[in-house]
Amino acid sequence: MILESLIGVALLGALVTFVAPDRIAGKLAFAISLVPAALSLWMFTAFDGSGNALLDGDLAFESRMEWIALGDYSISWFVGLDGISMPLVALTTVLCSLAILSSWTPIAERQSQFYGLILFIEANLIGVFAALDFFVWFVFWEAVLIPMYLLIGIWGGPRRKYAAIKFFVYTNVASLVMFGAFIALVFSLGDGVTSFALPEITDAMLAGGPEAFAGLEGATLSSVVFVAMFLGFAVKVPVVPFHTWLPDAHVEAPTPASVLLAGVLLKMGTYALLRFNFTMFPEDVISTFAIPIAAIAVISVIYGALLALAQTDLKRIVAYSSVSSMGYVILGLIAYTQFGIGGATFQMVSHGLISGLMFMSVGVVYNATHTRMVTDMSGLADRMPIAVGILIAGAFGYMGLPLMSGFYGEFAIFYGAFGSEFLDYAPLFTAIAMFGIVIVAGYLLFAMQRTLFGPYRLETDYEVGPAPLHDVAPMFVLLGLIIALGVAPELIFEMITDAVDPLLGGGA
Amino acid sequence: MATAFELAPAIAALPLAAFVVVLLVGDSMPKKGAFAGIIATAGSLVLSLWALATVAGGEVYNQELYEWAAGEEIAFHFGILIDPLSALMLVIVSLVALLVHVFSLGYMNEEGETGLPRYYAELGLFTFSMLAFVYADNLLMAFMFFELVGLCSYLLIGFWFRTPSASSAAKKAFLVTRFGDYFFLIGVVGIAATFGTLSFAGESSFVVAAEEAISGGETLFGFGAETWVTILGLLVLGGVIGKSAQFPLHTWLPDAMEGPTTVSALIHAATMVAAGVYLVARMYGFYALSPTALAIIAFVGGFTALFAASMGVVKDDIKQVLAYSTISQYGYMMLGLGVGGYVAGVFHLMNHAFFKALLFLGAGAVIILMHHEQDMWKMGGLKDQAPVAYYTFLAGALALAGIVPFSGFWSKDEVLYDALILGLEEPIFLIAYAMGLIAVFFTGFYTFRMVFLTFHGEPRSEAARDPHPIGAAVKLPLIVLGVLAVVAGIVNLAPIAKLTGAEIVFLEHWLDGEYGAVEGLTYHEYHELMGHETSYIGSETLTMLLGAALSLGLAFAGAGLAWTLYNVPEPKEHTRRLGRAREVLGNNYYQDEYQVWLARDLTLPFSRTADRFDQSVIDGVVNGVSSVSLFGSGRMKRLQTGVVTNYAALLVLGFLALLVIFGINGGWFV
Repeated sequence: MILESLIGVALLGALVTFVAPDRIAGKLAFAISLVPAALSLWMFTAFDGSGNALLDGDLAFESRMEWIALGDYSISWFVGLDGISMPLVALTTVLCSLAILSSWTPIAERQSQFYGLILFIEANLIGVFAALDFFVWFVFWEAVLIPMYLLIGIWGGPRRKYAAIKFFVYTNVASLVMFGAFIALVFSLGDGVTSFALPEITDAMLAGGPEAFAGLEGATLSSVVFVAMFLGFAVKVPVVPFHTWLPDAHVEAPTPASVLLAGVLLKMGTYALLRFNFTMFPEDVISTFAIPIAAIAVISVIYGALLALAQTDLKRIVAYSSVSSMGYVILGLIAYTQFGIGGATFQMVSHGLISGLMFMSVGVVYNATHTRMVTDMSGLADRMPIAVGILIAGAFGYMGLPLMSGFYGEFAIFYGAFGSEFLDYAPLFTAIAMFGIVIVAGYLLFAMQRTLFGPYRLETDYEVGPAPLHDVAPMFVLLGLIIALGVAPELIFEMITDAVDPLLGGGA
Repeated sequence: MATAFELAPAIAALPLAAFVVVLLVGDSMPKKGAFAGIIATAGSLVLSLWALATVAGGEVYNQELYEWAAGEEIAFHFGILIDPLSALMLVIVSLVALLVHVFSLGYMNEEGETGLPRYYAELGLFTFSMLAFVYADNLLMAFMFFELVGLCSYLLIGFWFRTPSASSAAKKAFLVTRFGDYFFLIGVVGIAATFGTLSFAGESSFVVAAEEAISGGETLFGFGAETWVTILGLLVLGGVIGKSAQFPLHTWLPDAMEGPTTVSALIHAATMVAAGVYLVARMYGFYALSPTALAIIAFVGGFTALFAASMGVVKDDIKQVLAYSTISQYGYMMLGLGVGGYVAGVFHLMNHAFFKALLFLGAGAVIILMHHEQDMWKMGGLKDQAPVAYYTFLAGALALAGIVPFSGFWSKDEVLYDALILGLEEPIFLIAYAMGLIAVFFTGFYTFRMVFLTFHGEPRSEAARDPHPIGAAVKLPLIVLGVLAVVAGIVNLAPIAKLTGAEIVFLEHWLDGEYGAVEGLTYHEYHELMGHETSYIGSETLTMLLGAALSLGLAFAGAGLAWTLYNVPEPKEHTRRLGRAREVLGNNYYQDEYQVWLARDLTLPFSRTADRFDQSVIDGVVNGVSSVSLFGSGRMKRLQTGVVTNYAALLVLGFLALLVIFGINGGWFV
């Protein structure tokens, strides 16, 4: 019942925070969020799962009970963790706590609602990574959208309404496509499938796949569903060309929402791709689309990085660079090798930490200077040395500096992709994608040079000084985690590969 | 004796500890952390010397220590490889690091710098990374620390971050070397994916695997094994060219002189820049498998040696002269390695580390003397005011110019000799040799132009007439390095050995594993792999004497020209007479311009175009879809008029339409 208590504490906490007075909401929410964070870290150390959740693996913290009967199908409350979801759950709880801490400075209005929504998001995010029944999963998946929509729409910048609606409609339409496709798939799987439990559906898919349905051959249906689901998740990731909601959402979102959006929400897309597209579908279906998907990955990396290079708003720079980093994840997935998929999963966690750190850093700069434009400031290192020091460290993390987690994630993906026999022209795709590591250095170094170094210059009528401790502390924690995973990637890579291996073996 | 190896991790760990300590509490430490750095690097030096002695005693160390990440096909690990090459390099690096730390007491502390804890912390981090790079036992670990030294270089070039040119130079240094490292990383990934191992040494090394693949005539990634090995070798070479500032990725090094001079001495002369060349030596067995890759190394080196030396001729800033000289000298090492002169290349690497660190620290002393003036035209006459600085600088200059019997002569001559004897067999290499040879003349000229302008003649400014005194912390490192610059050549007096038959080529024996070596990593094994044929003019001795006479003659000619032009009380800017040529040289052949053009005028506008495309077309479609649906729903909305009669009419129409449809379907009208 531990996963339930994790979700339950966050949900109850959200309710309590909603009704708490603004004055204490921030501290209360932080205190509450420490419970799931501590619990999930304990779970991390006590993790005893093995294998892949969808491929008859032994789940950790499993809990399953019949819930609703729906004609021939039954829906069950079914949660549990394997080596892929465990690190993501831990990432979620830790990042939520830190995001709450980083909200203390910037959030002044309607605090109890703000913190309540953050905790509500946390509950749903845990649910997304833990759920193993399609319906339960889908409820969490959709429920994440609402609080994020409100966070952007209420606490956001000047164009918050446009950004919030764009975010909501875009990702929701994508979910609809995915939902329709998946339901069609389930119905076409025939009598063998009597529930929406993901492992059962996976078994049926790998055993024989869908029968003819709605006038389509089984094999064609498989492909159609694969594509529809890929598109549905691709919006969430996002990959080029479905990425335009992301910079708008990030720029308008308040810092903590950006932290969660980049840190965890984007990983929902890649996580779902891995769980659904790359686990449920047999190898030959995936390989049909290997070249186009690899092309999308490479384009996302390079094009996203080029877009970041053109920006002058610090937040937009980090936002576009997320598109680039997520491209690496897609490349790792389509490489379909141990290091490719393992590295992609590692990169999800690593990018969650690093992008979280970067958005926090930009937030701290914004709190102090009230601007995010590269052209507006210079020489910040003079005024806020500690925060700037961490920002520089985070930026180098983003550039994939060795002994920080980003390097391992990227290196594993590159290694896994280069030698992939699954993907034609794999070395070429990899080599092109790798050029992203040069462009990322270009735009981050350029932005740092302009904003942090040189003589101090910023036209303000207020004093710009060092950031308060509760702004800097979460950045230290993230930096510590980034370095820990960079020095010892096996901390999570071991459990990740344990869950990835059965998938490559073509089922249990 | 094996305990030296058990303690080997501490060689790198000590400076790391200094980094952490100084970073956290440096501000309240004596001398702002300088002592912590000195103690740590002194510890590293002692342990390195012990390791060197142990290797001399016939033992070597090749040990995996920590598994970093593992999968089914491959495990990535950290490990330590201490063999003759890395033991030698460990001593060089920790010695220079120690001396630079000591020198910093005089150069940074006494000059009232702020931010000293940051400075010493970064020096510590650098020393850690560099030492770990040196004894890395596999290519991935080498790559990782190769990148980390790049980070430290970035941080230290930008130490005076309030100066816009310093932060710009730091950015450029990281970016240009990153561009090289991009190819390096592809090479690492490619080697790992091809051979399933990244180890430098032992039965399971990628060198052995590559050799087997070539002899087995395998096809790798659609290429013949040798072609593929060449491709991989050249990819790794990208990192080498970036780090060792070889053409065309040399442009960052002169800019890097924005950093403190101590940093230039340690990082941008003696150690980090050497990392590239060292890497070639480290995986020499791999390059030995590919004649093409070796030839490219030789030509890049020979060309860079000449190209950079020619630019050094017209520089007025003492550090700029040294920067171009550094590029040029690394060109010699590449030339040496490329023509099969493994010993010659490593020999020159060692000598250069000493005499160039000396010259940079000497320049630092000059900068103190001159109250932070770097323009040589404002100097002059410092000879009598600061004899220690003068004589040590002179020793370094004589070594750099390659004047017998100073250390640089022996190693540069050996490089050129190796190029010559290969060129006599394969004439194409004569071109590389010729470039290296002509560069000797330029080297002699710019070196002594610098010496005369700085130390000789009459003082040409107020600062030069009244120099700031220099302390013991400055003099001591100069003296140590000055002695080394004079005598270091003794370790490999190959010409004398050839003339007299005396067994005095100690370095060659050292690198050939006569004391102890890891199997496969010895000079003669490399030689067998390469299978280079060589010829001589007349006899070996005659060739050697002719070559030495030629290069020595050119060095004297260059130095002599500088003597006549600049060793006068009131020297003139004779290089002005070069006219257009001076302009081209002064602008570094417009190398910076085209690279800046690539970044600023090509990539940036391209990215802006991509951004506009993204905003207008891609996001335009998204917004278009939403406005179509908004427009459509707006139209649909008009159906909801709220007038009951309209609804009634629609209801009736709908009913009639349904009837017609059912009618057609049901065949009522047939």
